[in-house]
Amino acid sequence: MHPREGWTEERRTLVTRRGFLRQGITAGLLFGGAGSLLEACGSGGSPGPPTSGGIPLPRPRHPVTWPIFHDNQPIKSGLPPERNATLRIFNWVAYINPQCLKDFGKKYNCKVELTTFENMDVAMAKLRSGQLNFDIFFPTIDVMGQLVYGKMIQPLNHSYIPNISQAWPDFTHPFYDGRWQYTVPYTIYTTGMAWRKDHVPENPYTMANPWAMPWQAKYKGKVAILDDARESISLGLMKNGIFNLNTTDPAQITAAGKALQELAHLTNMHVDNNDYTEIPSGQVWIHHAWSGDIATAASYMPKGVNVDVVGYWFPPDGRGPVGNDLITVLRDAPNPVLAHLFQNYMLDINNVLTNISFNGYMQPVNGVTPQRLVAEQLLPPSLMSTVVLPSYFRRGVMELQIPVTANALWEQAWLQAKSA
Amino acid sequence: MTVPPRASGLVSRPSGRRKEPQRLFWAALAAPGIIWLTVLFIVPFYTIAAIAGGTLDVFGNPVAVWNPLRWRTVNFTAAWHDVAGASAFVGPIIVRTLIYVALASLISLLIAYPAAYFVARFAGRRKALFLILLIAPFWISYMMRMLAWIDLLQTDGYINKALSFLHLVSQPVDWLGGLPATVILGLVYGYIPYLILVLYAGLDRIDPALIEAGRDLGLGRVRTFVRVTLPLSRQPILTGMLITVLPMLGDYFTNQLLSGTTGTTMFGNVIDDQLNSSAGIFEGQGAVFSLLFLLVLIAPMIYYVVATNRSSRAAT
Repeated sequence: MHPREGWTEERRTLVTRRGFLRQGITAGLLFGGAGSLLEACGSGGSPGPPTSGGIPLPRPRHPVTWPIFHDNQPIKSGLPPERNATLRIFNWVAYINPQCLKDFGKKYNCKVELTTFENMDVAMAKLRSGQLNFDIFFPTIDVMGQLVYGKMIQPLNHSYIPNISQAWPDFTHPFYDGRWQYTVPYTIYTTGMAWRKDHVPENPYTMANPWAMPWQAKYKGKVAILDDARESISLGLMKNGIFNLNTTDPAQITAAGKALQELAHLTNMHVDNNDYTEIPSGQVWIHHAWSGDIATAASYMPKGVNVDVVGYWFPPDGRGPVGNDLITVLRDAPNPVLAHLFQNYMLDINNVLTNISFNGYMQPVNGVTPQRLVAEQLLPPSLMSTVVLPSYFRRGVMELQIPVTANALWEQAWLQAKSA
Repeated sequence: MTVPPRASGLVSRPSGRRKEPQRLFWAALAAPGIIWLTVLFIVPFYTIAAIAGGTLDVFGNPVAVWNPLRWRTVNFTAAWHDVAGASAFVGPIIVRTLIYVALASLISLLIAYPAAYFVARFAGRRKALFLILLIAPFWISYMMRMLAWIDLLQTDGYINKALSFLHLVSQPVDWLGGLPATVILGLVYGYIPYLILVLYAGLDRIDPALIEAGRDLGLGRVRTFVRVTLPLSRQPILTGMLITVLPMLGDYFTNQLLSGTTGTTMFGNVIDDQLNSSAGIFEGQGAVFSLLFLLVLIAPMIYYVVATNRSSRAAT
């Protein structure tokens, strides 16, 4: 069966889950007095933890442990799972294996209902309305401040989630949620460069600046970048040699936007998130891409074309964009015990492998190794570069929440590049 | 020729006393539809206006301001700068959109008119069959039809195979590589069924006696068409063009599917990008553009209503 069977065609062509990921990331907390925080939020040499309107902005060098409010406490230990319940899950489109849901329902004798969203902004707006009684929500790191201070998610009772011991150590005390009080990790990914080796002789592994790989006029019409403001402006920044992907420096942001405009003039680039189909089909030869999308390339290869012709580059030293998603329990979850058990279930290695077989994105759980993914035939050996290693989260760069004013600069540069 | 009973005055007209309840009856029947349309137009329109003049919350999300006295002009100013300011990038896209839509409309008309004319005038007993064939594209969603084109237009797709087989091209054409022609043809394909149907409905109502009269008075086929049929087609053409041009102007999906490159970005794509932006200020600007777009489109609608009324009066 096709690993991504069940994806809607809208996902294929409109903005995809990953596309929206970054869109939500930049919902800056700072509105009034933004200017004073611009400098504080840059990743280089900031004197103290960046904040926004009094709410901290998590950074690897400035971890945040969110408060637990007296009127939003964890559930008590030792409670039995709710009976005759329907666990309601709110997740991105095609981002969890339906088999996992079916198996969970069977194990805990409950129904599992999945509702999807295509956009973190829309998902948050729906949750804010208070009209939806979901149990589980899959947010991105950037909305943690809104979720915690808006009391939209509940703190976790760790006694229900023993499988956290299977998670990589970096995710049991992550910088965005110290002591994992509110979240367990979900998927992890890198952003790199995918290319068709049979059409493009250049090898990014031997190039002086692989981030500049798309800037080649001879590939006009065959180049694509991700339809994602943060990812693509970051590409422009890295092409210019800047690796602070949360920069608030207007000159750097403008220069990155100009670089993308130059790319548009050189190659009339495609702007989409169809990396997982366009590279395998050969419609595009060089695509700025997400690791999890390219990991599924084998499923999309035309008849008679070997997946070995697809390459994925991510800096071997790990100095590139990395990220991860989360699983949370909503504050008003009708079935909080089952919700905790579901979090635990999704950290079990067997269920993780089942899930990866569907959506291609790895999860930071012990035992998810390149060798195992290849052995389980979840990944072709030629695409082992799509594997995310624990060290990437120490060496890599993350696109995190930035202030509103800086975000506006990023978006302005992006809108202009897309219309160049 | 049989004189219609209404024109002969043989049908008794309702008296004034009976007319009033009848009018109320029909008004009551129409009321749900009118209320429904009014609500569907006014509420979304006002919501867009409230966001366009709105503000941002502490998290940078747009917040609608419902009191028009408190509307801010910052989004309107920013939108204007995008169109005509120093860093304007929307202006050239508006021009490009107008060119694409003008070409697509012209091609659509050139294809649709003969098709509709044939069905209305010469299909004879097979008229029903042709009508079903005309409606057939509506059975499949617009998106699915466009997705089918993606497969057809691939470098190894059937279109390129056919062109190569006919020796019309030496190399496969990269139709999906950002060609304006692909986008224009996509617009034509997407909207032409609407145009054909409207034209058919109009052309079918043309009294054949008028065409026969033209021929009887000594006009040739071409001159009969130019002097009789074409003037009588003016109203259906106007209606058909309105029905197709207006959605084409706001279309973003066709370009997104069949090109997706920066070189073919249309105005609808700009609005879509702004509304999907994570920066609340751009969502506000997107709302401004949506609003202005709506206001601009109202102009041809008003012209259409005036022209229709005028031609109705002329007919009576």
